[in-house]
Amino acid sequence: MTSMPLASIFRRPEAGSLVGLLMVVAFFVVTGGVEFLYLSSVGSWLSRAANLGIIAIPVGLLMISGELDLSVGSMITAGSMITALVSGFYGLPIIVGIMAALGFGILVGMLNGYLVVRTHVPSFIVTLGTLFAVAGLLLGLNIVLTGTTTVTLMAPELAKTLFGKYFGQGFQVLIIWWIVITAAFVFFVHYSPYGNWIFAIGGDKVSARNSGIPTERMTILLFVLSAVSAAFVGMSQAILFQAVQATPQMTLIFNTIIAVVVGGVLLTGGFGSVIGIFFGTITFAVVTQGIYYTSFDQTWSNLIIGVLLLGAVLMNNTFRKMALTYAPKKK
Amino acid sequence: MKTLKKMMATAAVLAVSATAALAADIAVIGGKNDDAFWNKIKKGVDDARLVVEANGGKVNYLRMQSYDNFAADSAEIIRTAISQKPQGLAVPDWVYDSQDPAIKEAIAAGIKVILFNAGTWDKAKELGALNYIGSDEYVAGRAGGEYLVKQGAKNGICINTLPGTANIEARCKGMIDAMTEAGAKAEQLPLPSTSFGDPVAIAEAVKATLTSKPEIDGALAIGAGEADASAIGIAQAGKTGQVKLGCFDFNEATLGRIKSGEQAFAIDQQPYLQSLLAITLLAGHIDFGTDLPTRPVLTGPGIVDGSNVDATIAGVKIGAR
Repeated sequence: MTSMPLASIFRRPEAGSLVGLLMVVAFFVVTGGVEFLYLSSVGSWLSRAANLGIIAIPVGLLMISGELDLSVGSMITAGSMITALVSGFYGLPIIVGIMAALGFGILVGMLNGYLVVRTHVPSFIVTLGTLFAVAGLLLGLNIVLTGTTTVTLMAPELAKTLFGKYFGQGFQVLIIWWIVITAAFVFFVHYSPYGNWIFAIGGDKVSARNSGIPTERMTILLFVLSAVSAAFVGMSQAILFQAVQATPQMTLIFNTIIAVVVGGVLLTGGFGSVIGIFFGTITFAVVTQGIYYTSFDQTWSNLIIGVLLLGAVLMNNTFRKMALTYAPKKK
Repeated sequence: MKTLKKMMATAAVLAVSATAALAADIAVIGGKNDDAFWNKIKKGVDDARLVVEANGGKVNYLRMQSYDNFAADSAEIIRTAISQKPQGLAVPDWVYDSQDPAIKEAIAAGIKVILFNAGTWDKAKELGALNYIGSDEYVAGRAGGEYLVKQGAKNGICINTLPGTANIEARCKGMIDAMTEAGAKAEQLPLPSTSFGDPVAIAEAVKATLTSKPEIDGALAIGAGEADASAIGIAQAGKTGQVKLGCFDFNEATLGRIKSGEQAFAIDQQPYLQSLLAITLLAGHIDFGTDLPTRPVLTGPGIVDGSNVDATIAGVKIGAR
């Protein structure tokens, strides 16, 4: 193995998603030109990736452990709405707004987790329920409290610098958060004993519990992480965009699942990696942003996005099969 | 015998309550309750309700539950309204093919109908409705295009997050036609459906477009939320002020930008007036036989720019604008 470092890199679970990413970047450099690789363009698609990626990693880990979280679609709105309500409409210090938003994330995450663990209702249904319940709650509260559906927030400079600002040529500060959070998750999942628990739960929950893994606590923790991440991104978006609408971001649900699957996580659970999801998210962002640099008629953009994402997943699949069936030649 | 007596008693009660409702009983149909636009309509409904109730009538505002099965649901909600047997109905004619039969049923049932927000006077005449109160999307789009040209824009884009939606397409078409006729260039920027409702996606799409097409100097967003995101995208491309930004409808942030000069203008169809006028005209017609000979009643396009932004801000604070 040590004599073939390149080959062993290609057999890692994230190799397929890296190849998929390189494929779509190459596609846009060819069809869109070098402008696509200018620093300001890179900032553009990385900013999109960061907003999606912070949520996609915990959602991906849930999928590895065999669960889904659809409630992120309204949790992101919850994060921005609560921050704007507390610190914009009521004018409390921004830190109170941030804490309230993240606290609400913990609450909904625990609710999701407990309902899934205790009732054994599929998480698809449970989180579908909380998706609508939270969206309805926010809207109702918002209308009762403010009388409108849009809340404005003027955040202080420090909060803007930390969560909602651009640096360099259009790099959102969230990109730094995303990289730090990804690194933390890589450690948590791949270099601490807890990571293997997630894979074990996704592979076979009963055996995992029998071998002493606290599967229930782990599942609840993952739900809390995904709800809090969505609230965190929502909070940052409120600080950046300064106006919040009470509409849930339904497309975010699809987008996280796409990023996770393009990143090589199996929809059935038990297989995937954090770095893979990281690359999958960039791939998704590159594909959706790249379209604007090409000369294609924009009317066709959905078609091109669909075909490219399918291509990236197929590429990833092929690599995974090759990696899993590989046996070194006898010397 | 006993049951017969009971039935007769019930019939008597029903007859009494039916004759009691002499004053106008009006049903209004509107969009989802998390749709900011339809809450301005609601403010008009609530204010008109005061007038109707003062004369002993009542107003019921029925709202769409979701937009996912729009054509079917928007017809179904009209039938729900008919089943409540109102005397007047104010309804947006969003989807002609599916809603027209239901509107005809209402008129056949003796209900006085006014079309508002969506439709045309020709459509109202064809169906037998009293009037059409609202704006014309194409005319509003043209107003946007003309304003951009007046501001010196030579290359415009219409930022469309709902490509394929008829009324939004009409907005963009109006803007593009007006700019082209004035000798400028304009085209649509249709965003893929993965970006709808996602401000980051819209901001980065606008930035990318401005980077790859530096000649663009005018932009029109199809909604206020889209304009918030587009303004960030324009700022990130380093083109605030150079690219004249306008939008349909507005929110508090839009007005802040107009005040500070980051955005040129907003096109308003003045939804508050639509519901307020539709309901009071219906009530007057039913109660007192009044008839307004102005048809259609256009409530827009009204342009909000630096000259009237302060009064508009006052209206926003109470949800009327």
